[in-house]
Amino acid sequence: MRAPRLVVGALVLAAAFAARAAEPGFGLPHDASLDGHRVDELIHFTIWATGILFAVMVVWMLVAVFRHGPSHAPSPARGDDRRSAIGVLALAAVVFLVVDGNLFFHSVSDLDRHFWNYAVAEQSPGAVLIELNAHQWAWDLRYAGPDGQFNTADDVVSLNDLRVPVDAPVVLQITSTDVLHSLYLPNFRVKQDAVPGSVTRLWFQAKETGVFEMGCAQHCGPNHYKMRGVLTVLPRAEYDAWLASASADGRRGWDPDDASAHWGWAWRRTEP
Amino acid sequence: MSEPVHALSEPFELQPIHPPPKSFLRRWVFSTDHKVIARQFLWAGLLFLLLGGLLAMLIRWQWAYPGEKVPAVLGGFLFRESGGVIGPANYQTLFTSHGLIMIFFAITPILIGAFGNFLIPLQIGARDMAFPKLNMLSFWTFALSQVLVLLSFQARLGPAGAGWTTYPPLSTSVGTPGAGQSLMVAAIFVTGVATIMGSINYVTTVIRLRAPGMTYMRLPLAVWGLWLTAILNVLFVPVLGSAALLLFLDRNFGTQFFIAGAAAVRGGGDPILFQHLFWIFGHPEVYILILPAWGVVGDLVSFFARKPAFWYRGTVWSMVTVTVMSAIVYGHHMYMTGMNPLLGKGFMALTLLISVPAMVLFIDWLLTLWQGSIRTTVPMLFTLGVIFVFGLGGLTGLFLGDISLDLYLHDTMFVVGHFHLTMAAASFLASFAAIYFWFPKMFGKQLDQRLGKAHFWISVVGITLVFGGQLVAGYAGQQRRLYDPFQYQFLAHLRGLNRWTSYFAFTLAAGQLLFVWNWFATLFGKGRPAGENPWQVGTLEWTNAATPPAHHNYDVIPTVLHGPHEFADPAVRAALGRDWLGQAERAPGPREASR
Amino acid sequence: MTAATRATPGVATIARLPTSRHAFTAYLGMVVFLSSWTMMFAGFFFAYALVRSHAPVWPPADQPALPLLAPGINTLVALAGSAALVLALRDMRRGERARPARWLGVAALLGATFLALQAAVWVSLWDAGLRPDGGPYASVFYGLTGIHALHVLVGVVALGALALMLRPGPGRTGELRVRLWGMYWHFVAAVWVGLYLAVYLA
Repeated sequence: MRAPRLVVGALVLAAAFAARAAEPGFGLPHDASLDGHRVDELIHFTIWATGILFAVMVVWMLVAVFRHGPSHAPSPARGDDRRSAIGVLALAAVVFLVVDGNLFFHSVSDLDRHFWNYAVAEQSPGAVLIELNAHQWAWDLRYAGPDGQFNTADDVVSLNDLRVPVDAPVVLQITSTDVLHSLYLPNFRVKQDAVPGSVTRLWFQAKETGVFEMGCAQHCGPNHYKMRGVLTVLPRAEYDAWLASASADGRRGWDPDDASAHWGWAWRRTEP
Repeated sequence: MSEPVHALSEPFELQPIHPPPKSFLRRWVFSTDHKVIARQFLWAGLLFLLLGGLLAMLIRWQWAYPGEKVPAVLGGFLFRESGGVIGPANYQTLFTSHGLIMIFFAITPILIGAFGNFLIPLQIGARDMAFPKLNMLSFWTFALSQVLVLLSFQARLGPAGAGWTTYPPLSTSVGTPGAGQSLMVAAIFVTGVATIMGSINYVTTVIRLRAPGMTYMRLPLAVWGLWLTAILNVLFVPVLGSAALLLFLDRNFGTQFFIAGAAAVRGGGDPILFQHLFWIFGHPEVYILILPAWGVVGDLVSFFARKPAFWYRGTVWSMVTVTVMSAIVYGHHMYMTGMNPLLGKGFMALTLLISVPAMVLFIDWLLTLWQGSIRTTVPMLFTLGVIFVFGLGGLTGLFLGDISLDLYLHDTMFVVGHFHLTMAAASFLASFAAIYFWFPKMFGKQLDQRLGKAHFWISVVGITLVFGGQLVAGYAGQQRRLYDPFQYQFLAHLRGLNRWTSYFAFTLAAGQLLFVWNWFATLFGKGRPAGENPWQVGTLEWTNAATPPAHHNYDVIPTVLHGPHEFADPAVRAALGRDWLGQAERAPGPREASR
Repeated sequence: MTAATRATPGVATIARLPTSRHAFTAYLGMVVFLSSWTMMFAGFFFAYALVRSHAPVWPPADQPALPLLAPGINTLVALAGSAALVLALRDMRRGERARPARWLGVAALLGATFLALQAAVWVSLWDAGLRPDGGPYASVFYGLTGIHALHVLVGVVALGALALMLRPGPGRTGELRVRLWGMYWHFVAAVWVGLYLAVYLA
């Protein structure tokens, strides 16, 4: 009756490592971003570290159950002496410092220097600034157009269609007009909630052209599952050309009296 | 360290023996006997566990076969208007009520309501709780909350559908109009009141009614777990109450605590305020659900390794540390709300830190097993299962605690796998460890052990495969709460994974029928009679109380001389011919053993 | 574990902890219960603090100003109710027969006065245009004072019932009940002081 424990243990270990395997079936989505690999590397480090810890635990339990079964004479050790206590605490501390410590420092560094450094991203040459209004159940996007101001006649406004140039920082300011949503870019490893009444931010940089998906990652009503957008990464020249022609279209279609169309806001500069 | 033995008369004065009640209503319906109330909670909890499980199966059906008719009479009955097909609106009700029911109306009444009530007075050597009438009220208030849940399903505009987390603005009347969501919010409030009533009893009883000699450091770990849980309940369920009440006001009286955006007047409220209040409750809540499980595990590993629990004090202090730290890590549920990065990093540091006491617990359990004399009884198998699934689930928490990983993993199935392994699976398996272990004491019979072992294997393998499958889906990027994940092309290749996970889930559910059969057949059939102390352990309920215990528990309040894990002492073996010593039993030999 | 008994006369009649073990257990249960209620109100004050910190200006320019006099009087009324309960308890310990019930009645009346004044404040603000659906400022005001008032109502009913129960003369259980409901009242009064300071004055 104890043999199946081995099977279970083996199954789980296999599952733990399969997640890391190069199997295309269940791997991470394709990474089209400049910094996404940092997330992937940290995930893989964590899989190794936790996998080893888990494997040690399972093997330990299996050995105990098999080798220290009913016919084994139990030790009366209580573990309440100072030496044992120090040993336990030391082991916990070592694991904490090695695993958790690594996680903490890498995570903080990645946030400060690559994911949440909005000021640097915004001020980079060629940065693209976009406003996003999430609502049930689509993504409204707004580009400032040649005049560089949001909510003006030359804005480019699109629905579920996010176009960006390759190799340039794209900074989004995000809000919602109804309920919570969350902008999720799986191929760029980032997301951020869209909160009614506030403006949140997200930035990324694409390292290759292509067509990718935007998803909603916060339950927002029955059609939450359909809130899919398309993210198209274009070569810079194509992007500029598109922006110019879309802006001209926008200017033609501008209606000064349509208040609900003017949902944009003055860009909130991030202090460095 | 020995404690002076108190005069036996004192606890008598505090707990006189009352004759048991005679009328049917007073004995079985409005009973103030903690053991009867425990059974009431157990039945009520198991019933809603079945309901919650059914809801889970419907969710898994939708993920296996999106948009297809639910088979047989179930589809026709539940989803009549849509011809047996689960629609998006129904789907959000499914995952909302699944979460709420499992947390508040299944695990809480089973682990905390039933086992808290049954074990605390018996294991501390008391005759009943400190406030028996309040105890009775707590059950009936809880029952009322269950009725409110059922009523919410009848609402015309549909039941609650904003997720168990009930985030506004979706959960306000702007996002989810109608009585269904309001009734569910009311049910949460009422069940919170019931929980607080019960917890006041647990906290006070452990402080005031311990038998002479039952120091805190001689309490069974199960009591520690239940007591710390009760302290957390007392402090943090009211915060949920405040959030629920303010949400109720927003829904029905036009206030704007949480409403912002287009529907807001004059600046509006703050939806994130709700998240703060909710998670200040919500994170302690996950510890509320697991502390009793940890306590039971701590005791049972010792009992079935026939060895003292390794570093009992360390285990107790770890549980206390987790309790104290539980509220200050809450922000890790809110990393993606646009919070101040410094605040986020603070929460990250604390979240990683709280893994240290959890590690100490694990090390203590593993060292209790090592060099033991392990008997793989049914309760022990379930206990090992808890360690296994919580180990896996707890480790996945390391991923989610890091903000830079949470950027990708937040609100994916990885989170769902994580909390199901730690919160659901561990509590689920611990509940069954407790049921199989204490069933003989509660009912005087033994559940069938072979069926129990089969139940264990199907459960633990099923759990690992189902929630492991969810971890994999989340790693691949699948978001949670999606009616049809395959609208997204980047998830299209996960159809097979989701389908197989569903098959494992259906198997896991079917396996529970083994327990249902065992439960009913043993209770209402012949059932093997249990001995007075079939597991041969030394806690007071096994050594000093009858099976099942008398109305007044103990003819004589025992005087406690040792801790609950007195095993493997050669002097005891020599004098008494067994490897265990009861807590109120004098140790053999000239020197009185007093730990 | 013996219950604390301070034999110092004078001050002791107010500050003394319950002497019997059973009474101490009830007292402890009440402390735990009030901790719960404190945490619930802490949730409300947290909500108030967060809402207020996000608002650009507080109170918003177009909202009617909150009166200070009537709520200020209410603060005194609430504290007077506490004093009446302390006196009721003191008289019970001294073995007085009729006076405790009278003090309880006074406390209940003071509570009713509190509610009447509060209702008057609400009516006057409602007429001045402050409605619950008028935004976060109004939400905080009506929400917090309303929930608090519900608690006062519970206290008034309980104290009134106790006053009637104790008219024939207090007994052992009577003293315990008065003590416990006294703790409840002190809690409700303390929350009010907090409310007055944070919502009206600040």
